[in-house]
Amino acid sequence: MGRSRVVTFVLEAVGVRHGDAVILDDISVALRSGRCTAIAGPSGAGKSTLLRLLNRMLEPTSGRVLLDGTPLPALDVPALRRRVGLVAQQPTLLTDTVLDDLRVGRPDLTEDEARSLLAETGLPPAFAERPTAGLSGGEAQRVCLARTLALRPEVLLLDEPTSALDHASAEAIEQVVKDLRAAGGTAVLVSHDTAQARRLADDVLVLHAGRLAEHGPPEQIAYLRPVSS
Amino acid sequence: MSAHSQVHVPSWPGVIASLALVAVALGIVARARLRISRELVIAAVRAGVQLVAVGALLLAIFEYAGLPGAFAWAAVMVVIAGQVAGRRGSGVPRSRVAATAGLAAGGGTTLLALVLLGVIPAQARVVVPVAGMIIGGSMQAAGLALRRVRDAVTSGRAAIEARLSLGLTAREAFAPHTRDALHTALLPVVDSTKVVGLITLPGAMTGLILGGVDPLTAIRYQIVVMYMLLAAAAVSAYVTTRLAEAALFDEAHRLRC
Repeated sequence: MGRSRVVTFVLEAVGVRHGDAVILDDISVALRSGRCTAIAGPSGAGKSTLLRLLNRMLEPTSGRVLLDGTPLPALDVPALRRRVGLVAQQPTLLTDTVLDDLRVGRPDLTEDEARSLLAETGLPPAFAERPTAGLSGGEAQRVCLARTLALRPEVLLLDEPTSALDHASAEAIEQVVKDLRAAGGTAVLVSHDTAQARRLADDVLVLHAGRLAEHGPPEQIAYLRPVSS
Repeated sequence: MSAHSQVHVPSWPGVIASLALVAVALGIVARARLRISRELVIAAVRAGVQLVAVGALLLAIFEYAGLPGAFAWAAVMVVIAGQVAGRRGSGVPRSRVAATAGLAAGGGTTLLALVLLGVIPAQARVVVPVAGMIIGGSMQAAGLALRRVRDAVTSGRAAIEARLSLGLTAREAFAPHTRDALHTALLPVVDSTKVVGLITLPGAMTGLILGGVDPLTAIRYQIVVMYMLLAAAAVSAYVTTRLAEAALFDEAHRLRC
């Protein structure tokens, strides 16, 4: 993880329309490698849409997205998605056991590797044998995160990863992002939780009604400032 | 008894006499005040008119159009059945095209195999009813497959997108749903093959026995019919599912709908 490049993603005048609705409007920004970038803003601002542009689950209607200088459409899509791993907001488990789930994107994953991935997300090693039915939301989300980490992605995309989780699970997931950052990895995190953005991000993008309202280090972002009494 | 013995079918006066049975049904309907007398009369008349028309059409095909006419009629059946089965997948892009192509593939290969292997003679009067059975069975299989494909997109979207996000190709991400669609499509034909003769006396065999053919001869036809239905349903469901799957995803391995 963490190739030492200065710039990872560049968005050039990116717009997304859905019929008449403008979801994203004229976004130009660079997301830097080796950092954690948080995308903040009220719900409906286009945060998840922006995230889904980065692994081509969505196509911009105007403008373009480049990864290390290459426009995304020039890259092989499955290979891009292994380089840029996305963890969705709602955890969706795909098989009967945790180990099988970790192997969906990495069929060659050994049991030892599986156990160490689970440990990274704060789950006990024996969790690999657990059936996926009956996991709590927090456990399921951590398995989904471990499943994406199994790809050894260069960039980790997280869409509101802790929004519906218990405290321990949320903390474990935040720890993964902190460890990743400490190791020079790149993460892009969508969060409506301003405190979380302050805790984790080196860079913050604030979206407002589809437009880029603010961009900078968290201490300079007005949107993140606690409302003073 | 042999296949050469006289064929026993009702005469026209006999058919008229059977109207007495419609009267019996009407009597019960009237007595129970079901208010469907009118519908029942229309249904009875409609059945008569429809079958006379089909009989005349088949006669015309057998007499004048020969084998090309029989295949043309089979093509018409494929198109009609493709519309019906395709409707089961409404919401899936180009589902009617997928169903029609699937039925053409399944019906075409099966019919051709039967003729080329010499199992059935290449005669219009054989090809038309055999094609009817094949396409009817395949229509059910293709329709069930499309229904499952459609359900996969509505209820399995999150799982499909999760697999795509893990770098799986569209085909790999949809593979569990493809298997499920084929499984669902083939269960009825496999089940009916298992119990044929025990639970139901199927159409081809019943028709031959009614026509005076000895039962041990009649079952030979039915055995062939069951085997051909298996092949036709399998090929039709497979081709339909694959085409539907291809239409579901764009070139960037994303769901279109």
